[in-house]
Amino acid sequence: MATLAQSPNPDIALRIEGMNKYFGNFHALRNIELTVTRGEKIVVCGPSGSGKSTMIRCINRLEEHNSGRIVVLGTELNDDVGNIDEIRREVGMVFQHFNLFPHMSVLENCVLAPMLVRKLPRPQAEEMALRFLEKVRIPEQASKYPGQLSGGQQQRVAIARALCMQPQMMLFDEPTSALDPEMISEVLDVMVTLAADGMTMICVTHEMGFARRVADRVIFMDRGEIIEEAPPETFFTASRNERTRQFLSQILNH
Amino acid sequence: MGSLLRNQKARNALLQAVFVGALGSLVIAGALIARQNMAAQGITSGFDFLFKPTGWEVTFSLLPAKPTDPYWWYFLIGIINTLFLGAFGLVTATLVGTVVGLARTSSNDLARLLGRSYVDVFRNIPLILQVFFWNALITNLPPPREAHEAWGFALTSRGLYVPILNVHGLAFAGATLALLAAIVLPIWLGRTTRLDSRPEQRRPAQLGTAVLALAGAVLILFLGRLPDTSLMSVPALRGLNLQGGLRVPPEFTALVVAIAVYGGSYIAEIVRGGFKAVGKGQVEAANSLGLTPWQVFSCVRLPLALRAMLPILANQYVWLMKATTLGIAVGFADFFMIVALTINHSGQTLEAIGILMAGFLIINLSLAALFNRINKAIALKGSQLRG
Amino acid sequence: MTDLAPPAPGMLEDLRRRFFASPLQALVSLLSLGLIALVGWKLLNWALLSAVFDASQGAEACHRAAGACWSVIAARWRIILFGLYPYEEQWRSALACVAVVAMTVLSCIPAFWTGRRIAAIWLAGTTVFYVLMKGGVLGLSHVGEESWGGLALTLFIFVATCLIGFPLSIVLALLRRSELPWISRTTGLIIDAVRSLPLISILFTFAIVLPFALPHWLQGDKLYRVIVGSALFFAAYQAEIVRGGMQGVAHGQGEAAMALGLSYWQRVSRILLPQAMRNALPATINQFVISFKETSLVVIVGFFEIIASGNAAYGTGEWRFAYAEVYTFIAFIYFVFVFSLSRYGAFLERRMSVGER
Ligand SMILES: Nc1ncnc2c1ncn2[C@@H]1O[C@H](COP(=O)(O)OP(=O)(O)OP(=O)(O)O)[C@@H](O)[C@H]1O
Ligand SMILES: [Mg+2]
Repeated sequence: MATLAQSPNPDIALRIEGMNKYFGNFHALRNIELTVTRGEKIVVCGPSGSGKSTMIRCINRLEEHNSGRIVVLGTELNDDVGNIDEIRREVGMVFQHFNLFPHMSVLENCVLAPMLVRKLPRPQAEEMALRFLEKVRIPEQASKYPGQLSGGQQQRVAIARALCMQPQMMLFDEPTSALDPEMISEVLDVMVTLAADGMTMICVTHEMGFARRVADRVIFMDRGEIIEEAPPETFFTASRNERTRQFLSQILNH
Repeated sequence: MGSLLRNQKARNALLQAVFVGALGSLVIAGALIARQNMAAQGITSGFDFLFKPTGWEVTFSLLPAKPTDPYWWYFLIGIINTLFLGAFGLVTATLVGTVVGLARTSSNDLARLLGRSYVDVFRNIPLILQVFFWNALITNLPPPREAHEAWGFALTSRGLYVPILNVHGLAFAGATLALLAAIVLPIWLGRTTRLDSRPEQRRPAQLGTAVLALAGAVLILFLGRLPDTSLMSVPALRGLNLQGGLRVPPEFTALVVAIAVYGGSYIAEIVRGGFKAVGKGQVEAANSLGLTPWQVFSCVRLPLALRAMLPILANQYVWLMKATTLGIAVGFADFFMIVALTINHSGQTLEAIGILMAGFLIINLSLAALFNRINKAIALKGSQLRG
Repeated sequence: MTDLAPPAPGMLEDLRRRFFASPLQALVSLLSLGLIALVGWKLLNWALLSAVFDASQGAEACHRAAGACWSVIAARWRIILFGLYPYEEQWRSALACVAVVAMTVLSCIPAFWTGRRIAAIWLAGTTVFYVLMKGGVLGLSHVGEESWGGLALTLFIFVATCLIGFPLSIVLALLRRSELPWISRTTGLIIDAVRSLPLISILFTFAIVLPFALPHWLQGDKLYRVIVGSALFFAAYQAEIVRGGMQGVAHGQGEAAMALGLSYWQRVSRILLPQAMRNALPATINQFVISFKETSLVVIVGFFEIIASGNAAYGTGEWRFAYAEVYTFIAFIYFVFVFSLSRYGAFLERRMSVGER
């Protein structure tokens, strides 16, 4: 364990090797190989049911992988509860349906984890929360409850909440697909800013404009496999793979 | 060791083992201590006592019972008493509940006021208090000499006297079954798919079975007549006491009345809830089709409401079944009282409690199974209509 | 609206429409009216007009009257409310009951609905109750549990049942929802077994049978054993209510908390329970109401709670005929508690269903 924790290259944020995942008999992820260096932005796309969510949920153990290795920020993800806690502290996640805690105000949502997990005193946690709420451009909503906000605002709060843990890597699972079209850009703008700050990001999204602007690499998944992995310019224009081209034509032409 | 505790799988396995182990050893320790205590009192554990004579009387029984009968026979008597009381309670409570529930959903303000007061009063007083009250009321009635009498019924401090047929008990049971068949069989014939190919035979078949079953009932009664008696036995005053008829003991009457009144207030709310669940749209559609109010009620509102009520009603029935254990408060020999008496007299504590649990488990599960079947049978086909 | 409203119907017309619109309607109206008048008149006559209130003439005066004999209450109310509690100390019993009522009222106020505040109120209320009743400190003379009785005993059993049963129900619900199959299955088995049994049989087992199966030092007083049994029964039902509330909490809530790095207990106490309890609130209050009514069953295992003390109040000599008055009095006390609590529950339910968005 100790040998793995000091992974040879500190620049590597995530390494997945030969990872497989089953739901019962259903083979959801097949032989996933992926390496992400620090500061890199990855966009994952693919048809529905192809295993995108499952893959990124494996990275912080919301799903348990069955075989292969996952090393996150130098820590191997295995049965050791200490490692799991450590990885969850350092990896932020943003969900399709926001998952804000409805019984807490926006500010309480943001300070909860820093206070409980990082043991920050309340004044410091609140100060930091306000800073991040400013960053996602809704400092004035701090005392409101999630139910009183629009979808786009809620998703930005969710991003701020994740940032308050000062993670080294962020996972996004279709952060804009539950939003009305006019709210998508406000969330994407925040994500672009975040990328510019040098955050390591793995985004499952079908926003191809965002992928073009931000991604260092685009990953295409189908039936639990990574089919193609390429920088956006080649991915969108010169893909050699038949399934990729079909998928792209479907989501770009409507 | 430390790293083992950090391992999620090891930790989970350990947690489960500790949990189940702790509970298991608690149970085993309790059983061992109980055996020891029983042995100290000279009681051998095991179920042999079931075949020993009880040596005590039972106050109410539908079956012949005497102190030389074995324990298992007494348990059977207890279960039958519980079911008997339960059946009476359920039926009367359902009748009361339906009437009150309908009053509560009626469009008439006065009827609604009545229904609502009824529910508010009787739902908010503990059942056992009501049992005590009715029991006191009946035992404080005038003695048989000055009984209230009407139509052959007599209400006295010794209980309720009702006229009965002078027939053998078995014949009466048989006739009851035949009567039930006369009702159930035609309904079944009306629904079965076997006659779908010959629809013109449905009516005659229904009529035929009904007549046959009725004739059977009469025949059974005739054969089972007690010799040298009049057909009806009507309670009548002889000396200080009433003779003839059937005496329903005060505690049974009190229990049935209390369960009917209290259970009725709960069932009334279920009935009301069922009618509330019927969509406005359906009623409006029926009205706009020109159905009469009665047709709207019987063809649309009632069937739909019934389906909404049934699952909740099932729970309520299970609850009422368990409420029969209040019998012990007024000395009615229900299943629980027999178990309690068994523990008192024989000391077979663990075994008796085990039998009690098993008995109620079986009763509850059978009720649940019955209602599941009814529910399935009347459930709306397809899922489009639900909602 | 600009259309002309129809002319307002006269009062008679209004009555006709509301009560005599059809022959069936008319019949129902008349029947109901008759019933209301009959029952109302009989009750009024019995309870007030022909009733005897004057206690000074004893039971004799009642024999001549046609109505209720309220003098039995005037003569025996102390035994009904306080049972065998020492006469000079009965003010303590009364004060203890007031403390419980105050505690209940306080916990109905939303401002106190955080786990900590509710727990504080209940612990404080119960301590006040216990100290007042039992004495032995603060210059109060000692009164053992065996001489507690009447309303105070009923309230004590109820409050203690809730105080033990409520936390237990949350634990049971969590165990039943556990991802570890052996834990959830075993707990499910226990909950279902308890729920399938009648409460009386459980009280009986704990009061009379359990001493057989416990080592001597663990047996404790019969009162506390019965309380534990009744708490277990309460918890088995309440656990299913809490579990229902937990199922109403979106799956993503727990996942989001996990992704933030919260531990199991933090997730449960900060995220799951606050939301689940809110979902379960109406059903919980309903369960409290049922449980309060069922507290009365302890009379069967030989406790001198309010019904037993009522039986004693009319059971002796001269008042033997006055059962209806005594039971009415006790019923009224129960009614006040249960009715107000269930009305409050209905109010909350309405408020919450309006507040939903
Ligand atoms: N908890 C589960 N149990 C069983 N099967 C699951 C579970 N979660 C996901 N699956 C299955 O695994 C496959 C991959 O699911 P996943 O959610 O990862 O797809 P996805 O690529 O995120 O799709 P979408 O674009 O619709 O979100 C699907 O076929 C799904 O049915
Ligand atoms: Mg997905």
